[in-house]
Amino acid sequence: MTTEKSAPSPMDRVWNFFISVKVAIFTLIILAVASIFGTIVEQNQPLEKYHEIYEDWAFALMDRINLFDMYHSWWFLALLVLFTVNLTCCTIDRFPKVLKVVRNPRTKLDEGLEKSVSLSDRWKKKGTVSEWAPRYAEALASAFSKPRVTEGDGEVHLYAETGVASRFGVYVTHLSIIIIFIGAIVGNVAGFKGYVNIPEGESVSSVAVRGGSRMQDLGFTLRCNSFRVDTYPNGQPKAYVSDLSVIEGGREVLRKKDVVVNDPLQYKGIWFYQSSYGDAGGTTARVAARRSDGTPAGSLSLPPNEPFFIEGYGSIRGVNYDRNFQGNGPALQVVVEKPGKPAENFWIVQGRPDLDRQRKDSMVFSFGGLNTKMFTGLQVARDPGVNIVWVGCTLMVIGIIMAFFLSHQRVWLRLAQGPDGRLAVVLAGSANRNRLAFEKKFEKIQTGVKAVAS
Amino acid sequence: MNTLNVQLFDLTTFLFGTATGSYIAALYGKKEFLARIGTWICAAAAIVSTAAIGIRWIESYRMGIGRIPVTNLYESLVFFAWSINLFYLFVERKYGSRSFGAFVVPIAFFTMVFAFTIESGIQPLVPALQSYWLHAHVITCFAGYAAFAVSAGVAVMYLLKERRGGDKVTGGVLALFPDTKVLDDLVYRAIAWGFPLLTAGIITGAAWANFAWGTYWSWDPKETWSLIVWLVYAAFLHARITRGWHGRRAAVLSIAGFAATIFCYLGVNLVLSGLHSYGG
Repeated sequence: MTTEKSAPSPMDRVWNFFISVKVAIFTLIILAVASIFGTIVEQNQPLEKYHEIYEDWAFALMDRINLFDMYHSWWFLALLVLFTVNLTCCTIDRFPKVLKVVRNPRTKLDEGLEKSVSLSDRWKKKGTVSEWAPRYAEALASAFSKPRVTEGDGEVHLYAETGVASRFGVYVTHLSIIIIFIGAIVGNVAGFKGYVNIPEGESVSSVAVRGGSRMQDLGFTLRCNSFRVDTYPNGQPKAYVSDLSVIEGGREVLRKKDVVVNDPLQYKGIWFYQSSYGDAGGTTARVAARRSDGTPAGSLSLPPNEPFFIEGYGSIRGVNYDRNFQGNGPALQVVVEKPGKPAENFWIVQGRPDLDRQRKDSMVFSFGGLNTKMFTGLQVARDPGVNIVWVGCTLMVIGIIMAFFLSHQRVWLRLAQGPDGRLAVVLAGSANRNRLAFEKKFEKIQTGVKAVAS
Repeated sequence: MNTLNVQLFDLTTFLFGTATGSYIAALYGKKEFLARIGTWICAAAAIVSTAAIGIRWIESYRMGIGRIPVTNLYESLVFFAWSINLFYLFVERKYGSRSFGAFVVPIAFFTMVFAFTIESGIQPLVPALQSYWLHAHVITCFAGYAAFAVSAGVAVMYLLKERRGGDKVTGGVLALFPDTKVLDDLVYRAIAWGFPLLTAGIITGAAWANFAWGTYWSWDPKETWSLIVWLVYAAFLHARITRGWHGRRAAVLSIAGFAATIFCYLGVNLVLSGLHSYGG
């Protein structure tokens, strides 16, 4: 009952907990250690796979604590929340104090300050305070930075500083982390991540959302015109290239012929990233048709054994393929049927487009090779928070540079009339970072300031 | 027969080995001139390895697959050793003590020995690596790693000296070390360089991932380990600046941070699997 005044209230205790740097260091280390587990246990695999790897009791335990998707588990998020609250409280607690110190710096070098700063120098000279004050102010300005002058009690105090921004670096960095988290939350709430496989020549207007069974409507149609793999001379893949079109209201509104890894397609805030590819099943034969006078009559893509009808002529279908037809290379066997005439059956050879002229028909066919139908696999993302994240990242780099590469350097100079009638000069300095470098700088300031007197 | 750049890298390995020997001999024999030789050898190694990187770059263009030589495990190892050596020479000059050499140059030497044992050919870039982000990402990461290596090497010196009574040591190898105060300061200052570089490395990596896969963070083991390293050094900096952690505790944390760094760099590729499995 008697200690009621001095005991901190429960609220104060909670507050004191959250503004503690000890808690911050503890949280950082716990986050680091906890993060290790998710790198040892492969994340987000099918449950059967975990069953194969782990004993039943271990599986049950790990599943219980969400170790198979730990970075999204309640306890990992709780750690991140603790981290953020701690960060925020530390900033709220300390920032106003720093702001106050920066706004109202100690411009007078009193005895207490004189004892607490690490670097100082004293000397005496003939003359009066008013006679020397302007000259010392000028000397300090040229040796370091323009000083503020405070007068009082027959003394003159000069105060000069550089690198004040150094004091704010840590808060800019803390703020940047919070901004990055906000960006991440916005992206998670308002965006989506999905994937889609599109066979060549086909279109999609919705994609599967990653990690769920939901489909996300795109609001437009995306068509894969073609897909190919470019290779280096040694056969290694050089580029995976998708030719994509965006179709809206029945019209092609955007086409990008070379969507490759590291060069995505973007339309209405939705990004499509080249991610995988595969065999879509189904092979077609490329056949070019020309009239006997040489004018082109179309390039055909023939599925096996399916007739293609050419108006006013008849139909053609591919029935057989030979890699090396009678030593002439790849060739396609086709059957041409015209109304009221017997079917014709012959071979057309790749790379010999005029061979078919010997048939003396009104239409000349040539074989352009086989096409294996591919599909392109695209990652799809809409992330309205990503720009917030980049703002945070930029601020983080700026904040860290301010915190580590700037130094708040302060120099005081006091002029007072000593009891012996001579002028007593005290020079003092301190820096919040890189004190060894400031020691050297302080020596230069000393010589610079003293040179005035000689 | 190896190409010219690999021969030059092999010569660099030999030079680092010789320099390591000179620095250690200088400490045990207390012969300053041996350490001076060590410095000259390191300077020679800097020139030879820089030339080798340049030549490798040019050779890649001759092969029609021109790209910066930091794209596979071999190249990243030699670049790591190159960064350590340059950072070390800078520190040696700035702090005017050659005793650091025996603790930092061996890290560069063993890195090169490891590189010596693995495939050194110039391979063309897989599609995922064809990005300008590659340059910024790799250079910032490895410059950061090099700074952490220097910090850890100096932390070992600090612990050795402190165990034998700190600055009161007279005679013996330890007397040649800089004051414990200087060592302690350098442990911190190297991290104060490494941390911003690592931060930039993680951010450029995230930007690149977003451009290549549409997600800036996916908790891939490499990403997660880089975050672990970042958290350890963040803890170090907070403990140092606001709680006044100096001396032994700071030195131990620096060594722990470097162990995490090495695991992030090599362990993840050799032990775990993930998006960085091409070995960079």
